[in-house]
Amino acid sequence: MTSITKTTSNVVSAAIVTAAMALPSLQFAYADSAPERGIVSFKYLNYQDSQGSLSQYSSSSSSSTSTSTSSSGNVHSERENDNNAIWIDTISGATAVATSTATTPTVVTPKTLSTSTSSTAHDRISVNAYSVMALVPIAGVWSFGTTYISDSVSGASPTYHTSGLTTMHDARQAVDAQLTRYFSSGNVSAGTSYSKESDYLSRSYSLQGSLSTEDKNTTFTLGGSLTDDTINPSTMPNLNAKKTTHAGLIGITRVLSKNDIVQLNLGYSEGEGYYSDPYKYYDNRPGHRNNTTALARWNHHFEGTDGTVHLSYRYYSDTFGIRAHTLDTEYVQPLQNGWAVTPLLRLYTQNEADFYIATGAAEKADPTVITAPPQSATYYSEDQRLSAMGALTVGLKVSKQLNHDWLVDAKVEFYEQRSQWALSGKADTALAPFSARSIQLGISREF
Amino acid sequence: MKSNFILKSLRALLYLIVLGLTGCSIGPAVQPWEKETLARPEMTFGGDKLDTGYTEHIYSSKEAASGGSGVGGGGCGCN
Repeated sequence: MTSITKTTSNVVSAAIVTAAMALPSLQFAYADSAPERGIVSFKYLNYQDSQGSLSQYSSSSSSSTSTSTSSSGNVHSERENDNNAIWIDTISGATAVATSTATTPTVVTPKTLSTSTSSTAHDRISVNAYSVMALVPIAGVWSFGTTYISDSVSGASPTYHTSGLTTMHDARQAVDAQLTRYFSSGNVSAGTSYSKESDYLSRSYSLQGSLSTEDKNTTFTLGGSLTDDTINPSTMPNLNAKKTTHAGLIGITRVLSKNDIVQLNLGYSEGEGYYSDPYKYYDNRPGHRNNTTALARWNHHFEGTDGTVHLSYRYYSDTFGIRAHTLDTEYVQPLQNGWAVTPLLRLYTQNEADFYIATGAAEKADPTVITAPPQSATYYSEDQRLSAMGALTVGLKVSKQLNHDWLVDAKVEFYEQRSQWALSGKADTALAPFSARSIQLGISREF
Repeated sequence: MKSNFILKSLRALLYLIVLGLTGCSIGPAVQPWEKETLARPEMTFGGDKLDTGYTEHIYSSKEAASGGSGVGGGGCGCN
């Protein structure tokens, strides 16, 4: 098991103490009154990510034409067989692990594997998604909002670290709805959401309220939610694993000046159930995961340029041992004739989970040799998303208000994730860099 | 060390915002007739809901951290 230096950043120690007092719940804090006009929006997303192989792997490659480690088998019904199949043989049903409710498939060492040998990036997952949103004011004091999203995901995904790719495809459909009642000094909102994939069903219910001071310069928000998930991996279709999450949020939003508004949200969430990834080798995670978040946001308007900057920082901490920092900035610059441009920059860093198993020496020399967790390890994972890393996003959004009613927008973002960019923790430098780009196209009409 | 510098900067930003929240306004209380700018869409924390939905979903499927801005919303099998 990886030894870990925990980030004991003081950043949010104060905030965490405060968060301990937080009740379950909440969303954003604003909107003192019902919207005057209804709105219908549509947005399309095209997403593609890719991951290179490290050059150090090239020497051990058996074929320079192979673009990826092709593998699959009966791993997942969504993962297709091919000639280089490796077998992740899973036992039907689940095995209770330790004192938790976590379950894990029994993993059998792959028999054959072809390796990735090029140092160039290869396409991994691609996503095409469509979403529609409607918000309708009702009788001046109510509003009803709903969102529908449909996405299609396909490509290749690693079964350990950044190797052992299996092909997969899946479709997800999700819908949510919120009903809000507005009062002179605040609002109350109830919401529900439903999301379905072939192997994952999620239902969520939330309630939140906000209260403003008489001068409307300070707003307090409180909210809570319950999320109930059911997981039936295609390799274990009768598993019926559960995951239940209770979350709460408390927030304060304050007007500082006619050009400045700030917000602080403290969140706490407690989850219990199945957290392992059934499609990865050596993946057995604890059966509970609690997390604390502190999110601070600041919007400032520049009178000189008529532009607005959004600055936000989020601290995240959980019982897996993850500590993450996210800094988000964007600048909205209105131009002539209804045009606006918004460049954005996002910086992210996390340390590794307590039970993350770093790439071993043998695997570094030959990526087909999977690093086994130590015998003594109760929990383990070789999921790159639980490793120490940092990430950078740059993006640009362009929008045009066509007339009183219609708005169109387009956004492009580029994302790069590297273990070397981790600000804390122990970087697993054998992981290949990961990158992604996304494009969004939207149209919106007010009524 | 650069990481220390960055973490210190983040801490300073957080303290600054907390300071603002706890009552140290930049000036006198803002009056209702001074809130024209604050009413602009880009000055709210809501943003483009569909954009935020896509973006948060992508990040939560590629990074260990998620959440912070609200509660509710469905989970997925992507993480």
